[in-house]
Amino acid sequence: MTDNLYSGKKILLVEDEETLAVGLEYNLTEEGYKVTWAKDGKKALDFYKTAEFDLIILDIMLPYFDGFEVAKQIRENSPEIPILMLTARTHVDDKVHGLAIGADDYMTKPFHLQELLLRVKGMLKRKTWYKEVTLTQPIFRFGENEINFENLQATAKGQVFLLTAHEAMVLKYLIQNKGKIISRKELLEKVWNITSEVETRTVDNFIARLRKYFEPDPAKPVFIKSIRSAGYLFNDAI
Amino acid sequence: MKKRHLLKHPVVIFVLAQLAWLSLVGIWIYWYISNYIIFELAEDKISPQLVSKSINLFALITGLFLLVAVLTGMYLIFIYLNKQLHLTKLYDNFIGNVTHELKSPLASIQLYLETMNIRKVPRSKQKEFIALMLKDANRLNYLINSILQISGLEQKKIAHSYDIYKVEPIVRKLISESIQQFNIPKDVVEIIGNAPCSCVLDTNALKIVIDNLVDNAIKYSRELVQLKIQIACNLKNFVIKFVDQGVGISPTNQKEIFEKFHRIYDPDSPNVKGTGLGLYWVKEIIKYHGGQISVISEGRDKGSTFKIELPIYQTAKKRYINSLLKISTKKAEKND
Repeated sequence: MTDNLYSGKKILLVEDEETLAVGLEYNLTEEGYKVTWAKDGKKALDFYKTAEFDLIILDIMLPYFDGFEVAKQIRENSPEIPILMLTARTHVDDKVHGLAIGADDYMTKPFHLQELLLRVKGMLKRKTWYKEVTLTQPIFRFGENEINFENLQATAKGQVFLLTAHEAMVLKYLIQNKGKIISRKELLEKVWNITSEVETRTVDNFIARLRKYFEPDPAKPVFIKSIRSAGYLFNDAI
Repeated sequence: MKKRHLLKHPVVIFVLAQLAWLSLVGIWIYWYISNYIIFELAEDKISPQLVSKSINLFALITGLFLLVAVLTGMYLIFIYLNKQLHLTKLYDNFIGNVTHELKSPLASIQLYLETMNIRKVPRSKQKEFIALMLKDANRLNYLINSILQISGLEQKKIAHSYDIYKVEPIVRKLISESIQQFNIPKDVVEIIGNAPCSCVLDTNALKIVIDNLVDNAIKYSRELVQLKIQIACNLKNFVIKFVDQGVGISPTNQKEIFEKFHRIYDPDSPNVKGTGLGLYWVKEIIKYHGGQISVISEGRDKGSTFKIELPIYQTAKKRYINSLLKISTKKAEKND
């Protein structure tokens, strides 16, 4: 399977179960990725500081620093790197916590190999798309708001803050398709993985958050409008 | 929201209930005394049959006595409930840990099977994968057995096979089996001393004890992995000490590590996985042998010493030891 478009991408695999790590490393290498294996949270952060990666596969129960802590520290410096949490913990709270910290996707053990490989590919695809779009136009202004899509820094209502990777991606997609109605399904497909367990309601939550940041009156949105039973529409010409 | 939550806390409920009782007693005594005074004042005017002091006093004392009984009962129920809550919490942790311990090897086995199903894996790799799958299957088997055997041990349904053994050769053999099983380099474990005495042992159970302690010493060590096992016999006991250079155990945790389901949550530990059953199992086995286990550690990163004492057959309390031997003979006869 060397016809992978994303062949050569670097993946940091953080997993303390040796038997599982060996199998994952073999499969990801077969797909053409370059894999670095970290056995615990401390090593993961060391590797992350010394080399660049395109994606991180992260277990939660790890010695020294657990997966949540690792994700948090990575997110502080790299808001854009895709993180896939892979764990035996199935509790909803863990899932929510992981996604809230900034993981992009969450899979529970035992998992299906092909599904994992597809998700990895999907995440790399979205990252590449985002990067291409960002390179052409890193800073975007609408109303009194300003967003730097490169470092995810936003200025709105007199405050400077950081967007999460997903918030930025949703906004970027809407801006890119300015004037067009974007359905929830389309957002799910483009920003999240279609196979992901993220429901359409999650999209609404993200929109609500973006409105809170950027709309002068979030109850009466002017930039991100809802189009009944169709989706959302971005418009900065007001 | 938080306030409502606080009101549901068992300690708060308990204190409120106590206050309710005490106010009831207060009101009751007040009522009694004021009635008493009225009776006293009106004593002459009421017919003497209505005023019977002795019955009133009897009712007061009996009532107080019953109240104290109720309060004691409540207190005991409160203590019991609190213990139960603590146990439930530990049990929840245990379920979480066991789920994790079951799912990890399962995930790995599934991964290798799917890999071999969708890819053309070279023969040498296939062998490596099969070896890893077998390792995980063993891990699953060990975990399931440990859960079943501990519950058997608690319900005294487990098949014991006690016999009188010369300790030293048995212990040396079990230790070398452990070293092999966990793939430990030979120079990591050192056995010091000799033990020319005999004990009543169940060798299968003793193997579990040694496996657990050797495995723990390795798992909870950082760079320097070094385990010294000292064996000796004194007048009454065979003594074996497992001295490691690992992460150590804080004094508060030293009391709790033998509790069922208990696990130390320390993010700085080199190993964060387990069921919280191992040391409980070890303690129960040693208890059944009429022995004792204890731990000494000067604190973090200063290593730990687990000390086990088993009664020597010749000087042991004969009744208990003989009862162990008797169980085994009965079992053997049954099997014949």
